[in-house]
Amino acid sequence: MPVLKPLSGNPERPQQYKQPSRKGKKAWRKNVDVSDVVKGLEEVNEQIIKGGVIAEKESAQLFTLDLVGDAALPKKFPKHIKKGLKADEIIAARSAVAAVPMRKRSGDKTTDGILPVKRLKTDYVTHKELTRLKKVADGRHESTIEVVDADHDAWAVVEESEEKKEMFAFLPKIEKAKAPKTMHRKPITLAANGKFVPAIPKPKAGHSYNPAFEDYRDRLIEESDKVVAVERKRIADLEAERVKLEASIKSAAEAEAVEARADMSEWEEDSAWEGFESGGEELVGKAKRPGRKTQAQRNKIKRRKEEERKVKHGAIIKKKQQQSERIKQIALEVAEAERAMELAKVVLDDEEEEGNDEELRRRQLGKFRLPEKDLELVLPDELQDSLRLLKPEGDLLKDRYRNMLVRGKLESRRRLPFRKQANVKITEKWTYKDFKLD
Amino acid sequence: MAKIRRRGQTGQAKNYVTRSQAVKKLQISLPDFRKLCIWKGIYPREPRNKRKVTKSVTASTTFYYTKDIQYLLHEPLLAKFREQKVLEKKISKALGRGDNSDAARWERNAARPEATGKPRYTLNHVIRERYPTFIDAVRDLDDCLSMLFLFANLPSTSAVPAKMIARCERLCLEFQHYLIVSNNLRKSFLSIKGIYYQANIQGEDVLWLVPYKFNQRIVGDVDFRIMGTFVEFYMTLLSFVNYRLFTSIGIKYPPKFDQLKDEQGAELGAFSLEGVNIATDGDEMKAITNGESQHGPDPKVQAAVDKIVKQLKADNAKGEKSTEVAEAADEEEGEQASDSIDKFEPVAPGGDVLPQPTQGSGNVSQLFDKFTVYLSRETPRQPLEFLLRAFGCRRIGWDSVLGEGSFTADESDPSITHQIVDRPVVQAVNGTEDNGEDNQTSQKIAQNQRYPGRIYVQPQWVWDCVNNEELESPELYAPGAGLPPHLSPFVKTANGQYDPTLPLDAQETEAEALDSKMEDDAENANDEEQEQSDEDVANDMDVDSANDDESEVSEVDAEEFGGVSDDDVEEDEEEAAILQRQREVEAELSGKSVKSKSADAKTKSKLEQKKVLEKKAREEAEDLERAKGMLSKKKRKLFEQMQYSNKKKSTEDTMLRAKRRKLEKEQKKARATLA
Repeated sequence: MPVLKPLSGNPERPQQYKQPSRKGKKAWRKNVDVSDVVKGLEEVNEQIIKGGVIAEKESAQLFTLDLVGDAALPKKFPKHIKKGLKADEIIAARSAVAAVPMRKRSGDKTTDGILPVKRLKTDYVTHKELTRLKKVADGRHESTIEVVDADHDAWAVVEESEEKKEMFAFLPKIEKAKAPKTMHRKPITLAANGKFVPAIPKPKAGHSYNPAFEDYRDRLIEESDKVVAVERKRIADLEAERVKLEASIKSAAEAEAVEARADMSEWEEDSAWEGFESGGEELVGKAKRPGRKTQAQRNKIKRRKEEERKVKHGAIIKKKQQQSERIKQIALEVAEAERAMELAKVVLDDEEEEGNDEELRRRQLGKFRLPEKDLELVLPDELQDSLRLLKPEGDLLKDRYRNMLVRGKLESRRRLPFRKQANVKITEKWTYKDFKLD
Repeated sequence: MAKIRRRGQTGQAKNYVTRSQAVKKLQISLPDFRKLCIWKGIYPREPRNKRKVTKSVTASTTFYYTKDIQYLLHEPLLAKFREQKVLEKKISKALGRGDNSDAARWERNAARPEATGKPRYTLNHVIRERYPTFIDAVRDLDDCLSMLFLFANLPSTSAVPAKMIARCERLCLEFQHYLIVSNNLRKSFLSIKGIYYQANIQGEDVLWLVPYKFNQRIVGDVDFRIMGTFVEFYMTLLSFVNYRLFTSIGIKYPPKFDQLKDEQGAELGAFSLEGVNIATDGDEMKAITNGESQHGPDPKVQAAVDKIVKQLKADNAKGEKSTEVAEAADEEEGEQASDSIDKFEPVAPGGDVLPQPTQGSGNVSQLFDKFTVYLSRETPRQPLEFLLRAFGCRRIGWDSVLGEGSFTADESDPSITHQIVDRPVVQAVNGTEDNGEDNQTSQKIAQNQRYPGRIYVQPQWVWDCVNNEELESPELYAPGAGLPPHLSPFVKTANGQYDPTLPLDAQETEAEALDSKMEDDAENANDEEQEQSDEDVANDMDVDSANDDESEVSEVDAEEFGGVSDDDVEEDEEEAAILQRQREVEAELSGKSVKSKSADAKTKSKLEQKKVLEKKAREEAEDLERAKGMLSKKKRKLFEQMQYSNKKKSTEDTMLRAKRRKLEKEQKKARATLA
């Protein structure tokens, strides 16, 4: 008996899906893909089965308006579903009184007829106060401590009463931190001899407003010697600088000359004949065979020798002159040394007792060197014997400050009138200058 | 083997910290750190080897002792600085937000400790810490006083607020009041810088410098923040010192201060001192009253009475104060006991009569007691008033231009005994001054004319009187007169130095004294001869001068070649012989007998004395030479320099003394001839 089988193979017609149209010659031979059309047809059939084509129906037949909502939901999620909208809530909470206007000056001039009450501003801060506050915020306040009149004897022996002691006997005694021994060490003096410098040095006789002649003369000479020594040193330094500069210029010129000579070496041999030999280049010519010299040659040699002799003589004379000048210089130096010795003596004498705040040691405290002491000297033409006519010398304020520094109480500082500012490089815009002349 | 230690754990690395390390540790800003260091007395230090402290060290690095900085951590002021920092932050935050009123409130509240509950910060505790005893504080008073007097005379600027200046001025005036009452001022000196004063407080010499009025310039290279910090500390210190000093002489501190009078320029007169009198409860006032209304008892007696009353009270009521008062009393008694000067008594009976030390001529502290002084318009009132009052003057008048509080502003007051003027004498008027009748009859006293019956002096007179502890003759200081030089009372005269204020016998060396005596003898002999015959005066004078020259030459020789020539003695003998012969020849020439033998013996003994002296000097010089040989080359040179300069000075001094001797002799002669 033949076995019943379902129809084998694809019941549908063969399909060429990739070919949506039949444009072109070759495409005629193939079948066109109409599967979406078929699908659509099937869908329409189904809709008809279910009660009609949807697209042809009216929307009222398709939708209903649900005005109630799901009654089960609030029961299901009581937390998540609120009673009303937030907007409703806000609107409901609004006060019946009109809101305070945010503007300082109301735009429209309409009022409610009630005059507003003027209130005094109690928390007003004046401009002056404000600048002061800004300063304080910047760390520039007046003082951190208060200075009050003494109301007790600071050095009195304070003894606690017995009752108080007994009352608090159970408490452990509070141990106060002890000052270390290093606190009581004396500060470093900056005097050259390392001796203690007094706060107020004893005034010498020469400092009197109406000094005795000898005292004044001694002081005047001493001070003027000092100033002269400083000036001498300055001049010597200048001179040394000048000499150095000159020497360097000279050596540069010489080097140039040597180079130039090297360039013109051909011509130099000729000059050698004239009697001037340069040390720059050695003549490594072949040794000439000795022969009889002609008269002309002899004359030439004679001339050359004469020239050489003259040059030598000139050099010797020059040297002598230099030496004589040097003698003068040495004499000057000796005189200066003697003067320095005299000065040293003066220092030696007052060195005995205490430090001198004019001569300081080399190493100092802090970044800056100490300011020089003012010259406290009334010049002879200004010297008066009347107190009324006295022109006070020196600056006490500076003097006090310097004294503190010399006694090593502080490190030296320098006032910076302006804060260091960032470097700004200024350039010019050049583009506008790029123009042409017609 | 020793334990190997890590680098930077011991020694200098541990003992020192750099400034930035210290600042970081204390958590304050650098200016605050500086302030704290000044107040607490912490100074920069110098390690022996900087490299060993930190690797990254420059020449300008500042070091401190680690222990000092560690100790600073306990400082209550540190809390204040931190509070301030917090406050600054709050204020700047509020300002940034635009809440100005908030910022103002923060700031306002910070200044009111009663509102915030935060304590008041003062430097009171630092005073005791830095100066454990009162004497320590007195020793450091030099700097303190100079600084405060200087600031009291500054013009007020933004850097130096007027409040600070006023406070400085007040403290200084209080201190001056103490000196006036206690008579402790010793010396004063007018220098070109300012006026120096020296006082003796409980045995310590305190020296300070006061600037002249209206002379202070503000210069740029002084750091006022730092100076202000010092002044804050010193103000606290002087306040405590004043308290102690005032209570020690039985005066209430602070004294009553009259603001109104101060505004009128009364200065010292603006204060009125009040005794701490328990019995009368401080009823009695002791203002500077210029004498007329001063009926109160003597301050010393008052103090003694006060003490007794105190002791009585202390006995009755036991309290904490009792010990203190008794102590103070004991101290005072001790001081009083030490005030009297010891007497030198010879150890053995029949010994030398020893010169007794004296306390100057009369009572120095009451030098100007009996005077009524009037200060002219052009004189500096403040220093003169202080000085005169400190030395007993009670009636001082001045022109009303100079301020309030004078005894009299009327120049014609008949009670005035002294007037201090510093005006030049106008020459044109000088001529008319001779006919004194006109001056007295004229109603108004014109420029350059004088009231009769009073002494006119220049201001220097006051200073010289004070320094010499006696009243100088006012003629030297008359207006228009060339003033004698104003000498510094602080110069210590070295041994053998010429001192114009001392008499010659007190300062000349033995050799000089001998020489002068010999000369005197010779002169006396000459005088005798003169009596005999007046013909050869000129001749004698010549001889005299020749003698002079010779003796000087011999002196110089002895000094210069001391220790070198051994046959000096013989030379001297020869010299003496030559001298003798010369005299004989002269006598013969003038036809007189040779001087008597007794005179000869005198001169001989003197010559011998001189020889002995010279020998001694030579020996000393030899010793020195020997000692010099043992010195190092450098030191020897130094020493030689010193010797050289000393010798130069001593020759100068001897010359000066010789000059003076000559002058004195001439004066004596002139006086003798007059008589």
